[in-house]
Amino acid sequence: MIELLRDTLRYRELIWALALKDLKIRYKNSMLGFLWALLNPALMMLVLTLVFSHIMRFPIPHYAVFLLSVLLPWTFFTQSLSYAVESIVGNADLIKKVRVSKLVFPVAAVVSNMINLLLSLIPLAIIVVAVGQPFYWTWLYLPVPLIALTILTMGATFFFAAANVYYRDVSHILQIVIQAWFYLTPIIYPATFFPEQYRWLFKLNPMNSVLNGFRLAVYDGQLPTLQSIVATFVCAFVALIVGFAIFRKHQDEFVYYV
Amino acid sequence: MNLQAPVIKVRDVTQRFRVVQERPDTVRELFSKFFRHESKVHDFEAVKNVSFEVFRGEMVGILGHNGSGKSTLLKLIAGVYKATSGKVEVTGTIAPLLELGAGFHPELTGRENITLNGLLLGYSKREIRGREEKIIEFAEIGDFIDAPVKQYSSGMYTRLAFSVATEVNPDILVMDEILAVGDIQFQQKCFDRLERFREMGKTILLVTHSVEQILDYCDRSLVMDRGQIVFNGDPHGAVERYTGKAALEPTLT
Repeated sequence: MIELLRDTLRYRELIWALALKDLKIRYKNSMLGFLWALLNPALMMLVLTLVFSHIMRFPIPHYAVFLLSVLLPWTFFTQSLSYAVESIVGNADLIKKVRVSKLVFPVAAVVSNMINLLLSLIPLAIIVVAVGQPFYWTWLYLPVPLIALTILTMGATFFFAAANVYYRDVSHILQIVIQAWFYLTPIIYPATFFPEQYRWLFKLNPMNSVLNGFRLAVYDGQLPTLQSIVATFVCAFVALIVGFAIFRKHQDEFVYYV
Repeated sequence: MNLQAPVIKVRDVTQRFRVVQERPDTVRELFSKFFRHESKVHDFEAVKNVSFEVFRGEMVGILGHNGSGKSTLLKLIAGVYKATSGKVEVTGTIAPLLELGAGFHPELTGRENITLNGLLLGYSKREIRGREEKIIEFAEIGDFIDAPVKQYSSGMYTRLAFSVATEVNPDILVMDEILAVGDIQFQQKCFDRLERFREMGKTILLVTHSVEQILDYCDRSLVMDRGQIVFNGDPHGAVERYTGKAALEPTLT
């Protein structure tokens, strides 16, 4: 853990440059460039609101805010994973030619998506105002679930980045897992949509409590219980410790498999 | 500083690769192999019990036929591989030029790539910024520096990469046959720079197939064969060992 912190600090300039490179390349050759980071969630919201509140008629007021408050952090999570899973294999040429700390690649993937997430909070705030949802003071609480989410995401990215070096199936399996995970997590629907007797299953899903923090703060104007906050952080740190331990154990071998 | 202190110490180093014939790349193959006990694994030692030292200010060439372990040895010294056994000790900063432009991204501009490549080689942003103009000047890129490198000719690409790696002042330069590229003029410019490096007391390790480069520039040369060092001494002797005949002495006619 200390090693992770130390190396992240030591290579912060490189990580930052790699993250910016990711973003530049993502928006390169598009006329609107960085504006896409803002437009994307706005347009996504338009589609989803249309589908769920007008066609499927979910009886949820301000459905756009209800949805986006968790969909944006969810997108951060899945995009980071999709980027990171290829981050070691995709940089094979580099790893084989230059001595470079391997952890910079998954960390940079998370950082670049974090920038995207923070940018997307701007259209979210605009939408909140536009639909007439009150602007709760609990927005100030957002850094807490953001930190928990980042820790959890880092743990998952380390694991998947390392696993994909050995078996390239991992990146395909991951896409399926993400799909299933999306529908099993209360993102497009509220947790109360599930029958009471199955709701305990959500407790096994670490993303549930993390995302719930976002929704409570932005949509409900409430704070999660202390118990739930603690549980969230415990989950997040366990994921990070396990994920990084696996990554660290194998990182010197990556060069032989990429 | 003590000139006699070795800056590169390689002691009894062995690098073993596990060669799996048709290594299972997917889970399906893994399972089918596992159940049929089919995995054919054998070890291959690319570098075997190699020991040598390089002193500060030396320019050392490494000769050897393809597959003799030269590149593996360089990668061990550059820290890309961790030796299976034995010890590699390097004192000072090392610039590995195992492949020019590793880490260049085609969509980024020359300038952006200078920063990224410099950071990958382990330099700080400040060091790179301070030398940016010199890097561009040496590479003779001109106005193209703000164009994406995918638009560069391969010569421009190589020149920029060499320039980044050598401008930022490493203590040790490790090169793998990279000077076989580029036109004669630029090659000459590169060797002039290497000469200057050496005058500054820096150490250069060079893998090459060019007998002339060994004879003209190196203080000492190693010859590798099947993972082992079979000769370690003066360049003429090395070339003799490598080509199987006496190196041509410049003769008076």
